[in-house]
Amino acid sequence: MTMASFDAGGIATSGGVRFLGQRRSYWRLLIRGAALLTVTLGIYRFWLVTDIRRFLWSNTEIAGEALEYTGTALELLLGFLIAIALLIPVYTAFFLAALDLGVLGQLSGLIAFAALAVLGQYAIYRARRYRLTRTVYRGLRFHQKGSAWAYAFRAIAWWIVTVLSFGLAYPFQLASLERYKMKNTFYGDLAGRFEASGFVLLLRGLPMWVLFFAPLALAVRVLVGLDWQALLDALAQGGDDVMGKIEGGNPGLGSAIVFAMLMGGISITLGALLYPAFQTLILRWWSSGLRFGDLEMRSRLLLRHVYGAYARFIGYAGLFGLAIAIAGTVALLLTDALAGSDASGQIATTLVLLIGYVITVLGISTIYRATVLFSLWQLGMESLQLSGLSALEKVKASGRPSSAFGEGLADALNVGSY
Amino acid sequence: MNSGTGTYFDGVTSARHEAVVELTPAALKISGPDGHLWGEWPYNEIEELAAPDSMLRLGRLGSPTLERLEIRDPAFAKEIDALAIHVDRTGLLQRRQRMRVIGWTFAATASLVLVAWFGLPAIAARLAPILPATVERRLGDVVDLQLRGMFDTGKDGAPFECGTAGAETAGRAALDKLMHRLEAAATLPIPLRTSVARRDEANAIALPGGRIYVFRGLIDKADNADQIAGAIAHEIGHVANRDGTKAMLEGAGLSFLFGMLLGDFVGGGAVVLAAKNVLQSSYSREAEAAADTYGTELMNRAGGDGRALGVILEKTGGATEPGMTILMDHPETKARIASINRLAAARPSVPFLEASEWAALKQICAGS
Repeated sequence: MTMASFDAGGIATSGGVRFLGQRRSYWRLLIRGAALLTVTLGIYRFWLVTDIRRFLWSNTEIAGEALEYTGTALELLLGFLIAIALLIPVYTAFFLAALDLGVLGQLSGLIAFAALAVLGQYAIYRARRYRLTRTVYRGLRFHQKGSAWAYAFRAIAWWIVTVLSFGLAYPFQLASLERYKMKNTFYGDLAGRFEASGFVLLLRGLPMWVLFFAPLALAVRVLVGLDWQALLDALAQGGDDVMGKIEGGNPGLGSAIVFAMLMGGISITLGALLYPAFQTLILRWWSSGLRFGDLEMRSRLLLRHVYGAYARFIGYAGLFGLAIAIAGTVALLLTDALAGSDASGQIATTLVLLIGYVITVLGISTIYRATVLFSLWQLGMESLQLSGLSALEKVKASGRPSSAFGEGLADALNVGSY
Repeated sequence: MNSGTGTYFDGVTSARHEAVVELTPAALKISGPDGHLWGEWPYNEIEELAAPDSMLRLGRLGSPTLERLEIRDPAFAKEIDALAIHVDRTGLLQRRQRMRVIGWTFAATASLVLVAWFGLPAIAARLAPILPATVERRLGDVVDLQLRGMFDTGKDGAPFECGTAGAETAGRAALDKLMHRLEAAATLPIPLRTSVARRDEANAIALPGGRIYVFRGLIDKADNADQIAGAIAHEIGHVANRDGTKAMLEGAGLSFLFGMLLGDFVGGGAVVLAAKNVLQSSYSREAEAAADTYGTELMNRAGGDGRALGVILEKTGGATEPGMTILMDHPETKARIASINRLAAARPSVPFLEASEWAALKQICAGS
């Protein structure tokens, strides 16, 4: 079979990948899901996640053939229950350690954090294995080899380096972890690999890094220049005239603090404004580095499209926030009028606030999924330019489906994704 | 029309096969254009799989491979739909299944809430009394550490507990005398450790394992020693009923139950905390009423003024526990005072402290 026989679908013009999903159907799916999540205290999430994946996978067409997601919600539920069974003794041990009055009790928080961080990375790798083995294309499934523990320790080591280097090591972390994932990823018997270079990403991302950290560095420089000893002495002495003494020891203190806060604000604003550009850069770099045998990918994701998605999110979220504010005020006034100010009135007010909070959080997360995440998937897929598609023609089946334990663990540890 | 075309993947290789699909009376027959037979699928073994709207994707139930047949002609897809038992493109089958799922998750949610509301307090109430005293004391020490971290501001360089400096020892002796009489009447299996804390709030708190703090603000508000004794008797009630331990067990259970099961979808933490507050305040309302009863009866037994607890409650607006006015931890103060007065013995009482001792107790936080 050659490509020519199904060119009718418009594949040649879109570089081999099409996304057929309608935004409206996605909205419907998410809104119904959010409503059911609220009334089931979140238990419905296994079904919602499965629906979301079925929608995204099915509507993604590579070289004329749509992907297929074969996972089920019951598998996810089972994986979650197994993960809980495993985590109960772990959490009990942490609880008991926290009761210790000695060194162990002091360190228990730190130990728990470290252990859960490693476990979280482990879960991320195993969850990826589950998703890959539930992804079917042309009657063959993907699979993933490699050790989740090896990945977890590698990831934690990289995170430490990245934090210590103020994020400068992040491109190399991404490249290294992605190399590990992709060299263990297979479509049937066709091995994947990752060829993007961390150094290239560093060079491209450096301007953003400078824009974000330069104001912070200026702020730190000014703060370090203060006479801290005099400041601490003044604080320790206390008394009525603390502020006067502080001013005396550090004539420039007030303006230094104002300057530092201003710089911090600039840094945060720039970070927020640059975030979509950062995301675009990473996505483009990452998808251009993916390889399966002779199959190569190139992403032509456009910056303005990603900013458009964020603009839509902000627009919808603003409207939603306004609606919530109005509805919330009306609800609170009504409760106040009906229930009065005694104990039952206070409980009713608390309940209204609680429900309002849940609706707000779920609403914003739904809008985010339907705007930003949907667009990133759609744009990410449609901007792909594939070459060497013939590599997909003679692949043989290989690999077995894995359990959903990793997904359950990721869910229980709150590191899950879709 | 009882035949059409489709695309067939054999599940062994990724090769795409244009296929002729025939609908025979018993099965769906898939063959190549050259007549090669790819498979014969009985109508009850065909399943519908996730696919874009424009296409019907079929698989064979129980097949060892992931063989797939894709039909793009809507009219032909409709014909297959009519014949294959497990295929339903109208979505009716799926909707029915989904309703069942929703029903079950509803049931699960209800059971979760019931466990949180009735199960956890029941478990905590049964578990707390059988915890060894050493464990309870240890729990108390941990809470004490946290409490000091929160409340001990170290202002003026004075220690958190009053009664150590030279001018305070007389007040400490008065407190010891008062406690001696209360403990003799209470006959608890564990020793109590009571002290006055250098805080301005009109409060008293009991920790697991028998540690009781009376805040200085409460002593400032009280008219006489019996009112302080009444407040302490109420706190001894919490110790005797092991309320602190129960609350800790309930808290751990709740954060586990909701924190884990709720998942991250809702955005987690805050909902858990709020739910916990609402639930725990309902636990403690009953606990407060029980401690009132215990406290009043203890005052009766010790020969003190049983109504004193009611008086001090009225003076503090019922807020004997920190941070509880927001959610009304305590039942309406008036109702509490009424039930205390019902229980209080009508006979004349012997004051807990002499006037001079009471004056000393008032100075317990005076400093050196």
